[in-house]
Formats: sequence, structure tokens, C-alpha cells
Amino acid sequence: MMPPSLRLTARNLIINTDPGTLLFLIGLPSFYLIVLGLMFQALIPNVVFDGRSISYAQFLSPGVVAMQPFIAGSIGGSMLWSDRRWGMFEQLLVGPFHRIDYLLGIIYVSMIFSVGGALLMFLVSYLLTGFVVHYLVNILLIIVVLLVSSILFTSLFLVLSVFIRTIQTYNTVTMFIFFILDFASSAFYPINGRTPLGLRIVSYANPLTYIVNSVRDMMFARLTGSDLVYVGVVVILSALFFVFAALSYRKAKI
Amino acid sequence: MPEKVIEVEHLRQTYDGRTFVVDDVSFNVAKGEIYGLLGKNGAGKTTTIRTMTTILPVHYGKVRILGMDVSENAEKIRRRIGVVLQNESFDFASVERNLKVYGMLWDVPREVLKARIEEVLEVFDLGPLRKVRAMELSGGQKKRLQVAREFIHDMDLLFLDEPTVGLDPIMRRSVLNYIRDKARRGLTVLYTTQIMEEADYLCDRIAIMNRGKIVAEGTSSDLKAKYGDLKTIHVVVSGDIDYESLKSKFPEDVIVDNEEIRIVSKNVEDILPDLIIYLKTKDIRIERISVEESSLDDVFLKVVS
Repeated sequence: MMPPSLRLTARNLIINTDPGTLLFLIGLPSFYLIVLGLMFQALIPNVVFDGRSISYAQFLSPGVVAMQPFIAGSIGGSMLWSDRRWGMFEQLLVGPFHRIDYLLGIIYVSMIFSVGGALLMFLVSYLLTGFVVHYLVNILLIIVVLLVSSILFTSLFLVLSVFIRTIQTYNTVTMFIFFILDFASSAFYPINGRTPLGLRIVSYANPLTYIVNSVRDMMFARLTGSDLVYVGVVVILSALFFVFAALSYRKAKI
Repeated sequence: MPEKVIEVEHLRQTYDGRTFVVDDVSFNVAKGEIYGLLGKNGAGKTTTIRTMTTILPVHYGKVRILGMDVSENAEKIRRRIGVVLQNESFDFASVERNLKVYGMLWDVPREVLKARIEEVLEVFDLGPLRKVRAMELSGGQKKRLQVAREFIHDMDLLFLDEPTVGLDPIMRRSVLNYIRDKARRGLTVLYTTQIMEEADYLCDRIAIMNRGKIVAEGTSSDLKAKYGDLKTIHVVVSGDIDYESLKSKFPEDVIVDNEEIRIVSKNVEDILPDLIIYLKTKDIRIERISVEESSLDDVFLKVVS
């Protein structure tokens, strides 16, 4: 007998795997990689990373991989919103599940979307830039970071979808957060001594920075002690957000 | 003594801590019984159902479902009940996929699921719509899907909150017969409706709720005998009726509609001969005459008002 949370995960996958969702999951990061990565190459021919000279598109690749948990999380939040709007939330709560199973069902499907999307991004990145992650262990570490990050972002968007009433507001808030977190992180540019202090503070208050940094180090096989700190920050934030989401979700009106 | 499937004792529910939307409600439902919960909008039916189906916590009183306290065994209870909600609920998928996914959620074995899908598609006349997406269905079709979906899994107790809204009379009768057939095989049903004919046709016992309280309970015949002491005289005539003259002669509840007269009274035996004599003296020809017993509608109106 399949555990209830996995049955709900399967249901979420079946119901939500449509072309629109996949386009959002894959299309947007691919667009960043293709348009920004290749177009900016004319302006930024090379970036020095870990003493090596790499192309800007290669520098950007970890950024788009690390975006996957964020995008998958926003899809997870919209699942709760949609279930509440179309009556399935109440229907599932009178079904053979614990309330927490429903929450886990969404988080698990976000993890699947996140890792699946990231693997596709590796492929896109390889096709565009010839970039390869050399060690299997690094790929596994990246997957662990992406899974933990999925808990963080899905929890964040679940909280939003509990309190936001209309899908228009949900989409607007999602896009707003997306731009803030994306552009105030190390996804597009390195955060270093030349970054203005204010922006540096914002960047280090941004969880995406830690995810991008650790994924980038893992992709370039440059693991250091600071990666432990990055991963630690992501784990702590994910745990906090999960607790916050579980508490907020109890207040979700049917 | 029959096994009690639902036991509600002195249930009181409040949303704001001051007013009780369910106020001291008590009733029992036995195994295999179809119990009707009637009441106008806001009477407290849906809150009572939401409490019994574990959506709402019990504020005061006791609720036991299938012998288990809802406050302590919510998940165990949910595994053995089916619920058709008043509001529409469906997944963004075709009719068939909605049924398949629902069966998967309830862990129905694949072969059983396949057979049940075919059965409910036929009973609820959804076969031609199996590939249509649920959101493209009409209101009545969506309701059919919602009711059909609940019969995909096994259960001991089924809650149906106004399940026939939007259904045409043929489909409504077909659904009611299907539910009755399931009850004969041991399924217990708690049924709410605003359509009194349905309750009369389907329910073994009926409770009428008003302002959070049960104000009448019994079989349909009991209720009619207790509260339905009014009868209606229907007379179809040919000729002009002088309403004022008729009203002055019969100060009861008189309604004249073209060539039809309706008089509602407790004393039809006294009124009827006088009415016939009156019409004869006025040279009005009687085409048809009948006396009707009170319906559950009359009982409901009397009890609730």
C-alpha cells in the first residue's frame, strides 16, 4: 500500500504536469541561459572563477540550475491555491489522509520538478556551453542541495498561497519575489569586494545566494569549507520555513 | 438493537464564540439507514456535516462516527466515510482521469477501479463525457461527476450535502435509486437537501433543522401525521369566479388562478359541501375536484415558520 503522502504526490504530478507548467519550469531558465548567457558574452567574454577563465554562459549555468527549486516552489504554492479555489482542498481533507500528508504531497512534487528541471538545465547548459559536471558525487551533492532548497521555497509559497486570495495577486507577488531574489543573488554576477556594500548585505540575506554559491562550487568541483556554511544556511532556513508553512497551513480557510 | 453509525449528543458549534450556529443538536443514525437533514439556508446543516466529517473540531458535545470519537480518531474515521460536498470540487482533468486519480488516492486496486469507473460512468450517464475536461462540464454534469466519484471507493458511511442540485428529474431519480440500492446493501447515508420530495422518497428518517436546532424528527409519515393537519381542496371549474364573493364566503386560505380554486384548511370535510353548493348557486360548472393530504413541504413550512 502506497503511503498517503506519495499518493497525493502522484495525484499532484498527474494533475499538474501540463505544457504550461513545464514551459514555466524549463522555459524561463533556458531563456536566461540562452539570451543572457550568449548575449552578454559579447560584453563579458570571460569570467575568472577559481583561478580559471570561463565563459559568462558557463558562469550563469549554476545560477539557472539553482533557480529550479524557486520555480518549482512557486508551482507548489499555486497547487494549494488552485485546490482551494476548485474545492479539492476540502475534498482531500475529508479523504483518507492526515493534514500533513497534503503538505508533504506538494513538497515532494516540488522536489521532483526541481531536480527534474535541474537535470534538464544541465543538458541545456551542456548543449549551449559544452559544460560538464565531472564527478557523480558532485551531481549527487547538487541534488541534495536542490531537494533541501525545494522545501525552503515551496514552504515560502505555501505560506503566500494561504494568505493571498486571488491568483492575480499570487502571480504578481511571485514575480516580484522572483526578480528580487534572482537579481539580488550571485546567480548573474559574483558577489565580491567590488559589489556595493548595501547590495552585498541584501545578497547575503538572500537564500538564493547560498544555493547558487554551493551549486556553483559543486559544478566546478571546487568544494571548500564555506560550502558547508552555505549548505548549513540553506538547511536551517528550510527547516524554519517548513515550520512556518505548517503553522500557516493550519489556518488555511476552506 | 441496531448498530449506531452516527451518534451526535448535545452538539454546539460556534464560529465567533458568541452565537451558536449549531445549538444542542442530538440524533443517532443506525447502520443501513438513510437519514435526511433538512433546513433552510443557514440552518446549521453544513456545519453539522463538517463536524461529523472531521473538518471542524467539536466545540461542545460529543460526536461518534462508526463507534469512534471524531476528536480522537479523525483519520481512522475519514478512511471509512465518503463525502459529497455541497460546493463543486474537481481536478483540472477529464472526467475519466478525475475518477482514476480519485481511485488512486483511495488506493483502490487497479482491476476493481477499472470496473467501478465503468459502472459509475454508466449509472451517472457520464460515458459520452469521459474524455471531456471537468471544467468544461455544465453545472449538473459536474455534480454528477462529484457524486459518481464518491462511489469509486468502499465506505461504511456516506455524507451527501445537497447532491442533486442542478440535476434533471430523470437523473435525479436515477441517483436516488442508486443511493437507495447501496443503502439496502448496508451503506449508511446522511443526506441533506432542500427538495422535500427527495427526502420523502429517499429517507428512512428525517430531521428538520432551524436556527441551529433540530425542531422536528421522525419518519416522513410521522411528521406528516404530527404537523400536517392541513389539507388542500383543488377545484377546476368553467365559468367566471368572483374572488371577493368566494373569499367572503370562505375566509380560509383561498387562491384563485384562472379557472382553478385552491382552499387550504383543517376542516375540508365541512368546507367541501358548502363550496359545491356555492358554485352551483353561482352557476359555475365543476370540471374536476380533489382533496390532497399535506406534503412534506407543508410540514417543513409549518415547522420552520
